[in-house]
Amino acid sequence: MTAGAVGESVRRVDIEAKVQGRRRYPQDFSLPGMLHAVVVWAGYPHARIRRIDPSEALAVPGVLAVLTHEDVPVNEYGINIYDQPVLASDKVRWLGDRVAVVVAETLRAAERARDLVRVDYEELPIVDDPLEAMRPEATLVHEDRRSNLLKHIYVRRGNVEEGFAAADVIVEGTYHTPFVEHAYLQPEAGLAYIDDEGRVTVICAAQWPHDDLRQIAHALALPLEQVREVVPAVGGAFGGREDISVQILVALAAWRLRRPVKMVWSREESIRGHGKRHPFHMRHRWGATKEGRLTAVEIEAVLDAGAYASTSVPVLENAVSFLAGPYAVPHARIDGYAVYTNNAVTMAMRGFGATQPPVGYELQMDRLAEALGMDPVEIRMRNLLEPGSIAVTGNRMPAVTSARETLRAAALAAGWREEPQGWRRPGASILRASHLRRGIGVACAYKNVGYSFGFDDRSTAIVELALASDGSIQSALVRCAAVEVGQGVTTVLAQLAAQTLGLEVSRVRVALTDTAATPSAGSSSASRHVFMSGNAVVKACRQALEKRDAALREESGATRIVAEATFRGHDVRRTTAYDIVDGHCEPHISYSFGTQIAIVEVDIETGAVQVDRLIAATNAGTPVNPRLCLGQVAGGVHMGVGYALMEEFIQQKGQVRTARLSEYHIPTVADMPRELESIFTEVPDPDGPYGATGLGETPTLPTAPAILNAIHDATGAWITELPATPERVWRALRGVPAQPAAPARRPCP
Amino acid sequence: MKPFQYRAPTLLSEALSLLASAGQRARALAGGTDLLVQMRRGLISADLIVDVKKVFELNRLDFDPSDGLTIGAAVPLCRICESPEVARHYPGLVDALSIIGSVAVRSRATVGGNLCNAAPSADSIPALIVHGATCTVASREGTRQVPVARFCTGPGKTVLGPGELLVSVHVPPPQPRSGARYLRFTPRHEMDIAVVGVAAWLELSEGLSTIANARIALGAVAPTPLLAVEAGASLVGRTPSAGAFAEAAALAQRVAAPISDVRGTAAQRRHLVGILTRRALEGALQRARGAEPDGRQG
Ligand SMILES: Cc1cc2nc3c(=O)[nH]c(=O)nc-3n(C[C@H](O)[C@H](O)[C@H](O)COP(=O)(O)OP(=O)(O)OC[C@H]3O[C@@H](n4cnc5c(N)ncnc54)[C@H](O)[C@@H]3O)c2cc1C
Repeated sequence: MTAGAVGESVRRVDIEAKVQGRRRYPQDFSLPGMLHAVVVWAGYPHARIRRIDPSEALAVPGVLAVLTHEDVPVNEYGINIYDQPVLASDKVRWLGDRVAVVVAETLRAAERARDLVRVDYEELPIVDDPLEAMRPEATLVHEDRRSNLLKHIYVRRGNVEEGFAAADVIVEGTYHTPFVEHAYLQPEAGLAYIDDEGRVTVICAAQWPHDDLRQIAHALALPLEQVREVVPAVGGAFGGREDISVQILVALAAWRLRRPVKMVWSREESIRGHGKRHPFHMRHRWGATKEGRLTAVEIEAVLDAGAYASTSVPVLENAVSFLAGPYAVPHARIDGYAVYTNNAVTMAMRGFGATQPPVGYELQMDRLAEALGMDPVEIRMRNLLEPGSIAVTGNRMPAVTSARETLRAAALAAGWREEPQGWRRPGASILRASHLRRGIGVACAYKNVGYSFGFDDRSTAIVELALASDGSIQSALVRCAAVEVGQGVTTVLAQLAAQTLGLEVSRVRVALTDTAATPSAGSSSASRHVFMSGNAVVKACRQALEKRDAALREESGATRIVAEATFRGHDVRRTTAYDIVDGHCEPHISYSFGTQIAIVEVDIETGAVQVDRLIAATNAGTPVNPRLCLGQVAGGVHMGVGYALMEEFIQQKGQVRTARLSEYHIPTVADMPRELESIFTEVPDPDGPYGATGLGETPTLPTAPAILNAIHDATGAWITELPATPERVWRALRGVPAQPAAPARRPCP
Repeated sequence: MKPFQYRAPTLLSEALSLLASAGQRARALAGGTDLLVQMRRGLISADLIVDVKKVFELNRLDFDPSDGLTIGAAVPLCRICESPEVARHYPGLVDALSIIGSVAVRSRATVGGNLCNAAPSADSIPALIVHGATCTVASREGTRQVPVARFCTGPGKTVLGPGELLVSVHVPPPQPRSGARYLRFTPRHEMDIAVVGVAAWLELSEGLSTIANARIALGAVAPTPLLAVEAGASLVGRTPSAGAFAEAAALAQRVAAPISDVRGTAAQRRHLVGILTRRALEGALQRARGAEPDGRQG
């Protein structure tokens, strides 16, 4: 009896407590004797610090300490490279730099004292445009580096000149995507204390707590065993919690003062203090034959890395592998650059470098279709990667390659017909008013599952079985630090364990993430937990069953069985780094595919766009929990609509102009498509648990380009700069440029 | 937020005495959807908060066909929008009040607060202006009437002096053959601040063939909501037509003095004034003729 096993939409195991307000989020924790800490933020986006004078602040009654760089044992951190100071010492490089931490008996005292910490700055010229920042004479963000160029990655395939010579049409375009804020419900918060075993313990939201430990231990110069992180309920993450936020600050304060210390960021601090999705400047030149087959692509992308590296290098690596889209291309020249500026740090955000590329490659596809007078579904069908196709990076695509299945499913649902001459779009529909235009747009996209480019991605799970005297399993406990950030991974892991053990899901418990009690599962990112941690749990369950059977054979009388298993991505596909000569590699462990078709209504007088209907076809392999899959699609589309139509984190000369959520608009439910139709194709991933695959990110990727293509279909205007705000659409319809368009200059590192 | 005293009187006289006692350091509190936000952000501080939600005079919502509509300053917007009489006789007001914030915000927020907060983008104000509404203001010294069109004097500024309280807003009785419409433009469907708001009110002549009277008011395009006098006057005596509406729209654009900010550029705002004025006039005309316009905003 396996009620709640794979394929059933069981109720989320954490939902009742969350709905009833019983589950605690990081800011809900308090301890006796607790102190309060607040950050003194950088006063300028780029300035030298001459002096920090805490004396006035220290005089405020109740203030215990003003911590500065001098108090940090090893003053550096960073998820990828240690290029970020815990507390700024010589200079600040963006407004999110932390200069000091005020610790006091009460929050009020800490806040009062914050304004009294005197920091003497010498303002420096800022670089806020990545293309400018690449010039040899540009101001350096990091003076110990020769230039602001953080990384250049490229792919060379075939001979593009030959490819363009063979083309019947060539289309070009420049595309620009904005900084995007994660806007998770729960702003950053943390409580640190010294636990009874003497460990600095941080209760906070995180995506990969074991990786946080590495950075906390490094900064505090402590052995790993002396730090601990507990992750309670997390109010959303979307990549924004991959990087350290409050962790080191509260750990440092608790370690120094030997008392519990709590820090809670306001929404404004959250927006100021954590990184954003990378803006991309993209230039595309694509050639195709009359038959619509791609002959060559030439693509350049410049990413604004902001003030510190964060994950900009892996985001760039990912992006370069996706810039040409899920298409087979014989000749390609692709270059990607990540560049330091004094803008907000840029980091992971739902898609990790796979979200921006479709805005370029899917508009290029529609431009080709238009130039050739070809149906947009038909031209894609002629070029999509299939199992066994060679990708632009020279690798062979695996069996889960399901781009075609998702395109076919979405196209049929939208009214396309497959005729002998090819795919044909549905006819025009009726308009409700004379100032409205309707259009339909298609976009495909794909994303890696798991960590790529040679990273030894792994997840470990421990399964403990409680046995009755006859050896039957009473219950199971799964220990695996796969953080539940709202996506439902706890429920899915419980279902996979239930399926493997032949138990009811209600008899499986998944332990709360605590680095002292649960082994590292890797990060809650890269759509990877169903695949990676799911595999680890299934493997541990199978080992536990074997041990149980052995115990029964031996009549050992054991009532408790423990098994631990690690699943390594390398066991499925050994990924490799970009080759230094041509960039060829085995980039990813596995893949997820999706197609969306948007039907929009454009008000040609105001430029307002309403998504009327959106069809999302996503490959789910074997959907472990269909309702949770739908949740990912609805949430992904929601973020995609925001990306397409309104979300833009605006900075001017390094200053934030969208400092709060009344200025940085995320869509409300009223902005969602009037109708959302989700379809799951079920091309199994033979390497996933029971054929399942990850889909946490894919549903957000095709939404924006599908909407942009629909706007073009409706009005004839190409919106090439996100978001397609009413003002941009209105100006495009009048042929008036909004701002100077994304610079078309050729970057020259 | 600094500590403050909180009082919730039930008598108007008591509320007025409290306000007088603390002068500039006192603040009236209605729904708090502006006040609390501003206090938490440190933009406003007060020693005394006088919660006016329990005062009888501020909680009236009375309609009489010959007297018109009286809206107590502390009546939550949802109560006004749910009133069948308001919906029947003042749909143009409901256009404005029903889009302020969200359901949660409207359950607390009031017309009094919207007026006294005096945001250039306040949605209720253009609609109240074209209806010819008047404010009743009281202090310990007595009461006075101020037309809504003259109530706001700048962003966040009103004619209220220290110790004065807005008691209610009075909307004249509905005229036969008249109709009003409020439209606002926001990039997001709800929970957003107007980039431009336009209210229009039309009264047709007896045979319905010409416009007897017209008023147009604009929001978010000047330091205060604005009565576009000439735009309205240009319609009087004319046959309602696309040409007449376009002329009025152009006149409305001329008085608009928008600024550029994160929400929109001056050029876009000016453009939208034209579009929204025309559409609001079309909606008002339909209502004057007894029909209901398409319910969508913007
Ligand atoms: C999420 C959100 C969304 C919003 N959306 C909109 C929107 O779409 N459109 C819009 O126009 N506004 C919007 N607002 C602003 C606000 O909700 C409105 O202005 C509302 O009408 C204010 O009413 P209130 O009763 O909450 O005022 P309060 O906050 O109680 O008071 C506002 C101001 O008026 C003063 N005041 C209140 N009553 C009186 C009185 N009787 N006499 C004298 N002074 C008084 C107060 O001292 C204060 O200065 C929004 C606010 C929020 C938080």
